Amino acid sequence: MERPVTSARSAPLLPHGRWRGFAWSTAACLGTTLLASPLHELLDPANIVMLFLLTVVWVAVRLGRDPAVLAAFLSVASFDFFFVPPRFSLTVSDAQYLLTFAVMLTVALVIGQLTARLGLEARTAARREQQTRALYEMARDLSGAFAAEQVVAIAGSFVEENLSARMAAYLPDDAGVLNILAGPAGGSPAIDASLARVAFEQGDPIGPSRAASGPLVLYLPLRAAMRVRGVLAVALADPADELSAEQAGILDAVASLVAIASERLHFVAVAQDALLRVESERLRNTLLSAVSHDLRTPLTALVGLSDALILTGDALPASKRETAEAIRDEALRMNSVVSNLLDMARLQAGVVRLRKEWQPVEEVVGSSLKHMESRLQKHRVRTALQSDLPLLEFDAVLVERVLCNLVDNAVKYAPPDSEVAIEARRCEAGVEISVSDDGPGLAPGSESSIFEKFVRGQPESATSGVGLGLAICRAIVEAHGGSIRAENRPGGGARIAFTLPVGEAPALDAALIARLEGELP
Amino acid sequence: MSEPAPVVIVVEDERQIRRFVRSALEEIGCRVFEAETAAQGLTEAGTRKPALVVLDLGLPDRDGVDFIRDLRNWSGVPVIVLSARAEESDKIAALDAGADDYLSKPFGVGELLARVRALLRRQAAGEGSPEFAFGDVRVDLARRAVERSGQPVHLTPIEYRLLTLLLANAGKVLTHRQLLKAVWGPAYVDSSHYLRIYVGHLRQKLEADPAQPRHLLTETGVGYRFQP
Repeated sequence: MERPVTSARSAPLLPHGRWRGFAWSTAACLGTTLLASPLHELLDPANIVMLFLLTVVWVAVRLGRDPAVLAAFLSVASFDFFFVPPRFSLTVSDAQYLLTFAVMLTVALVIGQLTARLGLEARTAARREQQTRALYEMARDLSGAFAAEQVVAIAGSFVEENLSARMAAYLPDDAGVLNILAGPAGGSPAIDASLARVAFEQGDPIGPSRAASGPLVLYLPLRAAMRVRGVLAVALADPADELSAEQAGILDAVASLVAIASERLHFVAVAQDALLRVESERLRNTLLSAVSHDLRTPLTALVGLSDALILTGDALPASKRETAEAIRDEALRMNSVVSNLLDMARLQAGVVRLRKEWQPVEEVVGSSLKHMESRLQKHRVRTALQSDLPLLEFDAVLVERVLCNLVDNAVKYAPPDSEVAIEARRCEAGVEISVSDDGPGLAPGSESSIFEKFVRGQPESATSGVGLGLAICRAIVEAHGGSIRAENRPGGGARIAFTLPVGEAPALDAALIARLEGELP
Repeated sequence: MSEPAPVVIVVEDERQIRRFVRSALEEIGCRVFEAETAAQGLTEAGTRKPALVVLDLGLPDRDGVDFIRDLRNWSGVPVIVLSARAEESDKIAALDAGADDYLSKPFGVGELLARVRALLRRQAAGEGSPEFAFGDVRVDLARRAVERSGQPVHLTPIEYRLLTLLLANAGKVLTHRQLLKAVWGPAYVDSSHYLRIYVGHLRQKLEADPAQPRHLLTETGVGYRFQP
């Protein structure tokens, strides 16, 4: 971590700092001296040294390294002054005691050092364990959270309890706007939303830094596997507090845990969303299929029964036969209206999934004309398809529907025996396919409005249709990434043209073709 | 029909549709038995030795596609499917399960009879007629020769294989999947552009107007059909 943090040195000892430690150390040495004075006559000086060493050990254990050093020196001085003859003087009569002092000082210092370090390590280990447990508990709580608010509340109370800091989370909504969610104790005025946004966008932590005399603030991006899921902003409660490396590490861990939890929530939401969408799509499809079935079944009976009547042949007088034919034709027309309405409903509900396949335009033109054969009996059909057209990727059923609607439209308005032409050619936007007729053409100004729903080319005419056909054409063409437009031909008549984009058609596997062409009989 | 009248079973839950289908079929000399449910239909098919089954896909008791799979376990009788569903996938599923042809509701009686006649004729003709003629094209399978207006036409092996497959199933709809599997192999069942390109070649060589084919017909979104 490259972050300016004050290092946490030999951790806090007894409460309230080192001066207290030195005072206690001095008092301990004084106490030992007082205790040992009455025993002066009974004990060997060597055993009094032991008492002092014990004191140094106690100071080292309870108060740490520096007070132990002080105790070591004080002990030697006190031993010399009070117990080594001549007493109450620092002078020494027997030079041997100089050795005693040296050994005593060395032993006291060494023992003090070792003991103090041991104590420090034990305390650090205990604290680490406690923090790890707290982190673990938070992770466990986070794994059970099912809303972002919960995640923030859990992380927030952890930060407040363990680091005495305020926390807020900035989480993006679907539009990428960061929304603030504060921890249980609320956010902090020192937290700056614009810095949070910078951290979110760059994906790098900002701080710890302080503005004016405010507390230290830290912005940690929630980096998850897929992307940055938000920013944690942490402000220390006390403006005077510094952040230790250890605390910074814990905050990093908190940020990762919150990031993982957010990502998990995100995927849960995605899964639920997908489930919901599939479900509603299925429902709509079922509904439309049911409506389609219920409308088409009686129409089938109508068409079939009147057809059966017609085919009984001579048994039927001509006028009744005509009636039967009219019933059949009207039923078929009703069917095409129903088809258009259902198709429009499907297209608008978005339940149409394009079954795109690479295919030649020629084929769909052929199948459309075959489909419209009976409608086209009174017209001449001319096809002019450019010979080197590329394969296009489209849904044949839907594009056939477009062509059928356009041909139907042309037949509807063009007089009998006139020509209906289908042409296809390369154009800038891809391939343009057009249907032209020799009819009266479009009313001026209606060239684009005819593609609106329920708008008809010739509003007052007796020609049938509810005006959905062209709206469906436009919806289908646009779903394919193409465009459709209508115009009047210079020589009279209307021309409706749509484009389909040209893509990168898949190549045929030359090796396969060669093998099959060589191998098959 | 001078032979014993062919038996046709109509499995359809709508009475009025059954009625006109029945009268139309009787008009051309078939003996018709009706069934309202899939279960009844299977029983009838087992006992009446039908020459043809007309099957509605939307039966109340069972999916029509399941019916076809069941039937195909023990019978090769031709099946025409009637479908009110616009979804091509239902038709494809029925055809892949073994149906021979389909009609989308609503359909005319003329259309129905044309399909029925084609399948009955195919069944009566039996297998292995080595010669076919359509339009101005003659195909002699025994000699592997294809002629158009008396002139030999060169077909590549793939084109020839595709053509013979369609000819052998005259009147029957073959799905993209079935054709791709038979000609290109199972790994290519989803590469329909191969099929479309080669059908295009065949039309260029054999149809008078490739943009308005008369014999190599497209069943949009489903497959192809050869119509003599």
